[in-house]
Amino acid sequence: MPRETITRRAADNVYLHRDFHCALNEALDYLDANYGAAAVREYLRRFAASYHAPLTAAICRRGLPALREYLEEIYRIEGGRMKLAGDADQLRLEVLECPAVVHIRRQGRQPCARFVETVRTVYATICTGTPFVFTLLDYDPATGAGVRLFKRRLP
Amino acid sequence: MISCTEFIPAYSELFKYLEEQGGRPAVVKFWEHLSDRYLDNLRELAREHGLRGCWLYWQQTLNEEAADFTMTLDEELGEFRIDMHHCPSKGRLLQYGQIHPYPDYCRHCDLLYRRVLEPLGFSYEIDLSRADRAACAIIVRRGR
Repeated sequence: MPRETITRRAADNVYLHRDFHCALNEALDYLDANYGAAAVREYLRRFAASYHAPLTAAICRRGLPALREYLEEIYRIEGGRMKLAGDADQLRLEVLECPAVVHIRRQGRQPCARFVETVRTVYATICTGTPFVFTLLDYDPATGAGVRLFKRRLP
Repeated sequence: MISCTEFIPAYSELFKYLEEQGGRPAVVKFWEHLSDRYLDNLRELAREHGLRGCWLYWQQTLNEEAADFTMTLDEELGEFRIDMHHCPSKGRLLQYGQIHPYPDYCRHCDLLYRRVLEPLGFSYEIDLSRADRAACAIIVRRGR
Protein backbone atom coordinates (compact mmCIF):
# COMPACT_ATOMS: atom_id res chain seq x y z
CA MET A 1 0.00 0.00 0.00
CA PRO A 2 1.47 3.39 -0.96
CA ARG A 3 2.02 6.16 1.53
CA GLU A 4 -1.25 8.00 2.28
CA THR A 5 -1.50 11.58 3.45
CA ILE A 6 -4.35 13.84 4.49
CA THR A 7 -4.00 17.54 5.23
CA ARG A 8 -6.87 19.56 6.66
CA ARG A 9 -7.17 23.18 7.69
CA ALA A 10 -9.33 24.18 10.65
CA ALA A 11 -11.73 25.95 8.27
CA ASP A 12 -12.39 22.69 6.37
CA ASN A 13 -14.61 21.35 9.17
CA VAL A 14 -17.13 22.48 11.75
CA TYR A 15 -15.96 22.22 15.36
CA LEU A 16 -18.41 19.68 16.77
CA HIS A 17 -16.94 16.60 18.41
CA ARG A 18 -19.99 15.14 20.13
CA ASP A 19 -18.01 12.43 21.88
CA PHE A 20 -16.79 15.13 24.25
CA HIS A 21 -20.20 14.72 25.91
CA CYS A 22 -19.23 11.13 26.74
CA ALA A 23 -15.83 12.25 28.03
CA LEU A 24 -17.46 14.80 30.33
CA ASN A 25 -19.91 12.16 31.53
CA GLU A 26 -17.01 9.85 32.36
CA ALA A 27 -15.23 12.67 34.16
CA LEU A 28 -18.25 13.51 36.34
CA ASP A 29 -18.86 9.86 37.13
CA TYR A 30 -15.21 9.47 38.13
CA LEU A 31 -15.33 12.56 40.31
CA ASP A 32 -18.51 11.36 42.00
CA ALA A 33 -17.14 7.86 42.66
CA ASN A 34 -13.76 9.04 43.96
CA TYR A 35 -14.46 12.40 45.59
CA GLY A 36 -18.22 12.53 46.16
CA ALA A 37 -21.22 14.53 44.98
CA ALA A 38 -20.04 17.75 46.64
CA ALA A 39 -16.85 17.58 44.58
CA VAL A 40 -18.85 17.31 41.35
CA ARG A 41 -20.79 20.43 42.27
CA GLU A 42 -17.71 22.32 43.43
CA TYR A 43 -15.77 21.46 40.27
CA LEU A 44 -18.67 22.54 38.04
CA ARG A 45 -19.11 25.71 40.08
CA ARG A 46 -15.45 26.62 39.58
CA PHE A 47 -15.61 25.79 35.87
CA ALA A 48 -18.72 27.92 35.35
CA ALA A 49 -17.41 30.80 37.47
CA SER A 50 -14.24 31.06 35.41
CA TYR A 51 -15.26 30.01 31.89
CA HIS A 52 -18.62 31.80 31.96
CA ALA A 53 -17.33 34.96 33.65
CA PRO A 54 -17.81 36.96 30.41
CA LEU A 55 -21.40 35.69 30.11
CA THR A 56 -22.15 36.57 33.74
CA ALA A 57 -20.73 40.04 33.15
CA ALA A 58 -22.87 40.42 30.01
CA ILE A 59 -26.00 39.43 31.95
CA CYS A 60 -25.18 42.09 34.55
CA ARG A 61 -24.76 44.66 31.77
CA ARG A 62 -27.53 43.69 29.35
CA GLY A 63 -29.89 41.44 31.30
CA LEU A 64 -31.54 38.28 30.03
CA PRO A 65 -31.03 38.99 26.29
CA ALA A 66 -27.35 38.13 26.81
CA LEU A 67 -28.31 34.76 28.29
CA ARG A 68 -30.90 34.16 25.60
CA GLU A 69 -28.33 34.74 22.85
CA TYR A 70 -25.92 32.32 24.51
CA LEU A 71 -28.55 29.58 24.86
CA GLU A 72 -29.80 30.04 21.29
CA GLU A 73 -26.26 29.72 20.02
CA ILE A 74 -25.27 26.53 21.83
CA TYR A 75 -28.57 24.79 21.06
CA ARG A 76 -28.23 25.85 17.41
CA ILE A 77 -24.70 24.43 17.22
CA GLU A 78 -25.74 21.20 18.93
CA GLY A 79 -29.00 20.88 17.01
CA GLY A 80 -30.94 20.63 20.27
CA ARG A 81 -34.72 20.90 20.38
CA MET A 82 -35.84 23.62 22.79
CA LYS A 83 -38.19 26.56 23.24
CA LEU A 84 -37.29 29.90 24.78
CA ALA A 85 -39.86 32.34 26.12
CA GLY A 86 -39.83 35.29 28.46
CA ASP A 87 -39.41 38.99 28.99
CA ALA A 88 -37.02 41.33 30.79
CA ASP A 89 -37.74 39.67 34.15
CA GLN A 90 -37.68 35.98 33.31
CA LEU A 91 -36.49 33.53 30.71
CA ARG A 92 -37.98 30.06 30.41
CA LEU A 93 -35.95 27.42 28.59
CA GLU A 94 -37.88 24.30 27.78
CA VAL A 95 -35.56 21.59 26.56
CA LEU A 96 -37.40 18.93 24.59
CA GLU A 97 -34.33 16.75 24.23
CA CYS A 98 -30.84 17.47 25.54
CA PRO A 99 -28.22 16.90 22.81
CA ALA A 100 -25.64 15.80 25.38
CA VAL A 101 -27.86 13.15 26.98
CA VAL A 102 -29.08 11.94 23.59
CA HIS A 103 -25.53 11.51 22.30
CA ILE A 104 -24.33 9.69 25.44
CA ARG A 105 -27.22 7.24 25.12
CA ARG A 106 -26.65 6.77 21.38
CA GLN A 107 -23.13 5.65 22.21
CA GLY A 108 -24.56 2.92 24.43
CA ARG A 109 -23.60 4.71 27.64
CA GLN A 110 -25.69 5.97 30.56
CA PRO A 111 -25.62 9.57 31.75
CA CYS A 112 -24.08 9.51 35.23
CA ALA A 113 -26.14 10.16 38.35
CA ARG A 114 -24.82 13.74 38.70
CA PHE A 115 -25.20 14.72 35.04
CA VAL A 116 -28.07 17.01 36.02
CA GLU A 117 -25.47 19.25 37.73
CA THR A 118 -24.24 20.33 34.28
CA VAL A 119 -27.53 22.21 34.24
CA ARG A 120 -28.34 22.98 37.90
CA THR A 121 -24.90 23.96 39.18
CA VAL A 122 -23.65 25.53 35.95
CA TYR A 123 -26.69 27.76 35.37
CA ALA A 124 -26.95 28.71 39.04
CA THR A 125 -23.29 29.75 38.95
CA ILE A 126 -23.74 31.75 35.77
CA CYS A 127 -26.46 33.73 37.59
CA THR A 128 -24.38 34.34 40.72
CA GLY A 129 -23.77 38.06 41.11
CA THR A 130 -26.43 38.95 38.54
CA PRO A 131 -29.95 40.26 39.25
CA PHE A 132 -31.31 36.82 38.29
CA VAL A 133 -31.71 33.44 39.95
CA PHE A 134 -31.89 30.02 38.35
CA THR A 135 -34.39 27.28 39.15
CA LEU A 136 -34.55 23.85 37.58
CA LEU A 137 -38.28 23.24 37.48
CA ASP A 138 -38.10 19.69 36.18
CA TYR A 139 -35.60 17.37 34.58
CA ASP A 140 -35.93 13.97 32.95
CA PRO A 141 -32.65 12.07 33.38
CA ALA A 142 -33.55 9.79 30.47
CA THR A 143 -33.55 12.60 27.90
CA GLY A 144 -32.35 15.71 29.69
CA ALA A 145 -35.71 17.27 28.84
CA GLY A 146 -37.29 19.72 31.26
CA VAL A 147 -37.82 23.32 32.13
CA ARG A 148 -35.10 25.72 33.23
CA LEU A 149 -36.20 29.09 34.62
CA PHE A 150 -34.13 32.24 35.03
CA LYS A 151 -36.01 34.85 37.03
CA ARG A 152 -35.28 38.31 38.41
CA ARG A 153 -34.47 38.15 42.12
CA LEU A 154 -37.03 39.58 44.47
CA PRO A 155 -35.93 42.92 45.97
CA MET B 1 -25.96 21.81 29.26
CA ILE B 2 -22.27 22.11 28.77
CA SER B 3 -21.92 22.12 25.00
CA CYS B 4 -19.35 19.79 23.48
CA THR B 5 -17.78 23.00 22.14
CA GLU B 6 -17.16 24.00 25.78
CA PHE B 7 -15.66 20.69 26.84
CA ILE B 8 -11.99 21.65 26.50
CA PRO B 9 -12.06 24.42 29.13
CA ALA B 10 -14.14 22.11 31.35
CA TYR B 11 -11.50 19.40 30.93
CA SER B 12 -8.64 21.79 31.71
CA GLU B 13 -10.44 23.05 34.81
CA LEU B 14 -11.00 19.45 35.92
CA PHE B 15 -7.26 18.74 35.78
CA LYS B 16 -6.66 21.81 37.95
CA TYR B 17 -9.33 20.71 40.41
CA LEU B 18 -7.93 17.18 40.67
CA GLU B 19 -4.40 18.45 41.16
CA GLU B 20 -5.63 20.62 44.00
CA GLN B 21 -7.28 17.58 45.62
CA GLY B 22 -4.44 15.07 45.31
CA GLY B 23 -1.51 16.56 43.45
CA ARG B 24 -0.20 15.33 40.12
CA PRO B 25 -0.90 11.63 40.97
CA ALA B 26 -4.62 12.43 41.15
CA VAL B 27 -4.53 13.86 37.62
CA VAL B 28 -2.56 10.91 36.25
CA LYS B 29 -4.92 8.45 37.91
CA PHE B 30 -7.86 10.13 36.18
CA TRP B 31 -6.09 10.05 32.79
CA GLU B 32 -5.48 6.32 33.25
CA HIS B 33 -9.13 5.80 34.09
CA LEU B 34 -10.24 7.76 31.05
CA SER B 35 -7.87 5.86 28.78
CA ASP B 36 -9.23 2.53 30.03
CA ARG B 37 -12.88 3.54 29.89
CA TYR B 38 -13.21 5.98 27.02
CA LEU B 39 -10.87 4.84 24.24
CA ASP B 40 -12.42 1.48 23.35
CA ASN B 41 -12.94 2.73 19.82
CA LEU B 42 -9.21 3.33 19.22
CA ARG B 43 -8.33 0.08 20.98
CA GLU B 44 -10.66 -1.97 18.78
CA LEU B 45 -9.66 -0.25 15.55
CA ALA B 46 -5.93 -0.63 16.26
CA ARG B 47 -6.39 -4.26 17.27
CA GLU B 48 -8.38 -5.08 14.13
CA HIS B 49 -6.64 -2.93 11.52
CA GLY B 50 -3.19 -2.25 12.95
CA LEU B 51 -1.73 1.13 12.01
CA ARG B 52 -4.67 1.73 9.68
CA GLY B 53 -6.88 1.58 12.77
CA CYS B 54 -5.01 4.65 14.10
CA TRP B 55 -5.61 6.35 10.74
CA LEU B 56 -9.32 5.55 10.89
CA TYR B 57 -9.68 6.69 14.50
CA TRP B 58 -7.91 10.02 14.15
CA GLN B 59 -9.42 10.71 10.73
CA GLN B 60 -12.79 10.93 12.42
CA THR B 61 -11.82 12.70 15.63
CA LEU B 62 -9.49 15.29 14.09
CA ASN B 63 -12.05 16.22 11.44
CA GLU B 64 -14.80 16.56 14.07
CA GLU B 65 -12.46 18.70 16.16
CA ALA B 66 -11.72 20.89 13.12
CA ALA B 67 -8.00 20.42 13.62
CA ASP B 68 -5.31 21.86 11.35
CA PHE B 69 -3.19 18.79 10.69
CA THR B 70 -1.37 16.47 8.32
CA MET B 71 -1.81 12.75 8.86
CA THR B 72 0.43 10.19 7.16
CA LEU B 73 0.13 6.41 7.00
CA ASP B 74 3.01 4.37 5.59
CA GLU B 75 2.16 0.73 6.13
CA GLU B 76 5.29 -0.51 4.33
CA LEU B 77 7.46 1.51 6.68
CA GLY B 78 5.19 0.59 9.58
CA GLU B 79 4.56 4.16 10.63
CA PHE B 80 1.57 6.40 11.31
CA ARG B 81 2.16 10.07 11.97
CA ILE B 82 0.14 13.13 12.93
CA ASP B 83 1.66 16.56 12.47
CA MET B 84 -0.63 18.87 14.38
CA HIS B 85 -0.07 22.31 12.90
CA HIS B 86 -2.65 23.88 15.19
CA CYS B 87 -4.43 21.87 17.87
CA PRO B 88 -8.03 23.09 18.26
CA SER B 89 -8.08 22.19 21.96
CA LYS B 90 -4.84 23.83 23.03
CA GLY B 91 -5.45 26.66 20.60
CA ARG B 92 -8.76 27.44 22.29
CA LEU B 93 -7.24 27.25 25.76
CA LEU B 94 -4.56 29.73 24.77
CA GLN B 95 -7.19 32.09 23.34
CA TYR B 96 -9.51 32.32 26.35
CA GLY B 97 -8.76 35.34 28.45
CA GLN B 98 -10.91 34.24 31.38
CA ILE B 99 -9.18 30.95 32.22
CA HIS B 100 -5.62 29.80 32.76
CA PRO B 101 -5.04 26.41 31.14
CA TYR B 102 -3.78 23.52 33.23
CA PRO B 103 -0.01 23.91 32.81
CA ASP B 104 0.61 20.36 31.58
CA TYR B 105 -2.65 20.07 29.65
CA CYS B 106 -1.12 18.44 26.56
CA ARG B 107 0.43 15.60 28.55
CA HIS B 108 -2.92 13.79 28.66
CA CYS B 109 -2.51 13.05 24.93
CA ASP B 110 0.73 11.27 25.78
CA LEU B 111 -0.68 9.12 28.57
CA LEU B 112 -4.14 8.32 27.15
CA TYR B 113 -3.03 7.02 23.74
CA ARG B 114 0.25 5.44 24.87
CA ARG B 115 -1.70 3.38 27.39
CA VAL B 116 -3.91 2.01 24.61
CA LEU B 117 -1.31 1.46 21.89
CA GLU B 118 1.78 0.12 23.66
CA PRO B 119 0.02 -2.98 25.08
CA LEU B 120 -1.05 -3.75 21.49
CA GLY B 121 2.58 -3.85 20.38
CA PHE B 122 2.97 -0.36 18.91
CA SER B 123 5.57 2.18 19.90
CA TYR B 124 4.23 5.66 20.63
CA GLU B 125 6.16 8.90 20.49
CA ILE B 126 4.91 12.42 21.08
CA ASP B 127 6.74 15.70 20.55
CA LEU B 128 5.26 18.41 22.77
CA SER B 129 8.14 20.87 22.34
CA ARG B 130 5.85 23.31 20.47
CA ALA B 131 2.80 22.81 22.71
CA ASP B 132 2.97 26.46 23.78
CA ARG B 133 2.07 27.27 20.14
CA ALA B 134 -0.67 24.59 20.01
CA ALA B 135 1.48 22.38 17.76
CA CYS B 136 2.72 18.84 18.31
CA ALA B 137 3.53 15.57 16.54
CA ILE B 138 2.61 11.96 17.26
CA ILE B 139 4.36 8.96 15.69
CA VAL B 140 3.02 5.43 16.10
CA ARG B 141 5.18 2.57 14.83
CA ARG B 142 4.41 -1.10 14.39
CA GLY B 143 6.51 -3.23 16.74
CA ARG B 144 8.65 -1.82 19.54
